[in-house]
Amino acid sequence: MRLGAVLALLAAPLTAQSVQSRLEGRIPTDAVPVVDSLVQVALHEGLPSEPLVQKALEGGAKQVPGPRIVAAVRASLGQLRDARDLLVRAGDQPPVRAGEVTTVAWALRRKLPPSTVERVVAQLPHPPRGPAIHAIADLVAHDFDPDSAAGLIIDAVHDGLQRDRLLDVSTAALHEVQRGRTRDEAITVVRQQLPNVPAPPKPERGTVTRARRPDTPTPP
Amino acid sequence: MNTTDPRIHQVLDGELSIDALPAELRHALESVSAAADLLVAPVPGPSLESRIMAEVRRPASSYLRRVASWLATPHAITFRVRPVWSLAFAAAAAAFTLFFARDAGPQLGEHEGIAQFVGRFPDARSVHVVGTFNDWRPGTIALEDLDHDGVWTATVVLPTGTYEYMFVVDGERWVPDHLADRLVADDFGRENSVVIVRPVHR
Repeated sequence: MRLGAVLALLAAPLTAQSVQSRLEGRIPTDAVPVVDSLVQVALHEGLPSEPLVQKALEGGAKQVPGPRIVAAVRASLGQLRDARDLLVRAGDQPPVRAGEVTTVAWALRRKLPPSTVERVVAQLPHPPRGPAIHAIADLVAHDFDPDSAAGLIIDAVHDGLQRDRLLDVSTAALHEVQRGRTRDEAITVVRQQLPNVPAPPKPERGTVTRARRPDTPTPP
Repeated sequence: MNTTDPRIHQVLDGELSIDALPAELRHALESVSAAADLLVAPVPGPSLESRIMAEVRRPASSYLRRVASWLATPHAITFRVRPVWSLAFAAAAAAFTLFFARDAGPQLGEHEGIAQFVGRFPDARSVHVVGTFNDWRPGTIALEDLDHDGVWTATVVLPTGTYEYMFVVDGERWVPDHLADRLVADDFGRENSVVIVRPVHR
């Protein structure tokens, strides 16, 4: 942990330089130092900084005025703090993983009730929980009851499904609704299928052949 | 030419007593007698006739055994091919290999997947997709409408993960992907679409 803190301190100036270079010319000039200072605060608090940079770049690309960009970045920083606090409250030992903080912040943005996220974090103590959170958020976005959705996904994890396969559980439930079942019925049907929910088809050869890489892909 | 002493012949014919022979001829007589005993001894094993009959009576081996035997036996195989056909075959093989090498597409890593972006913009002159995968930089990933039916598509290799994105139509109009399963508020008064890129190699 000490080593990590030392490395973070050593890397901070480099990060600051690279953040400024990424922002310059992409957002209004007067917003650059403010956004940069917010990024430094995030780094100092052990929070992921990339979501803040992405939010600023998004605002700049969308021609949003500087003050609104700063407000959005500040709001994102608040969401990351809320996510970290929620993870710690649910039982994660600080420092929490950046990926988990980003995932939980994203779930809160998708209007998942904090109590539901907290329940998932508490019942799935081993990260990564991203796919589980995404699967629940998908169901809630389609008007499933948050507690029922969380219960289904937690059951799927206990039945041995992991990572991206959890997304297949939510997809299966949504398909059942499309076939005319109620949401409660869909959850019951899919729970009976566990862990044998259908997997998505692999991309066809033609799809892979057509695929191309962007010039400069940047993972979030 | 027979070099055997005639006295040995006489002893073998019973015309002369063995005692009449000198000691060295007695030794030669014993060697000749031993050779004669070997010649008159019966041949061990079955006779030629019985061996032939045993071979005739043996049941024919099975088809599989004969095939296996044929496969295990060395054979000389001769091809008679005109050189022009050999060259044509080689050229066809090279063309086939080059075609598939060119069309094999990108080699995907363990943590890479494919994202397909599709949008219907009948009157658009250009459509790009921008998002957290390309730092929201317009112009880097263009969609195509090759058959001019108004449906624009792009298939992109991305690292696995969750991305927010929008379409930019004609370089100025920002539009969410209405076919996306997921939408999230962008904090600027609009909504971003969300794509989850899963690994191709599962």
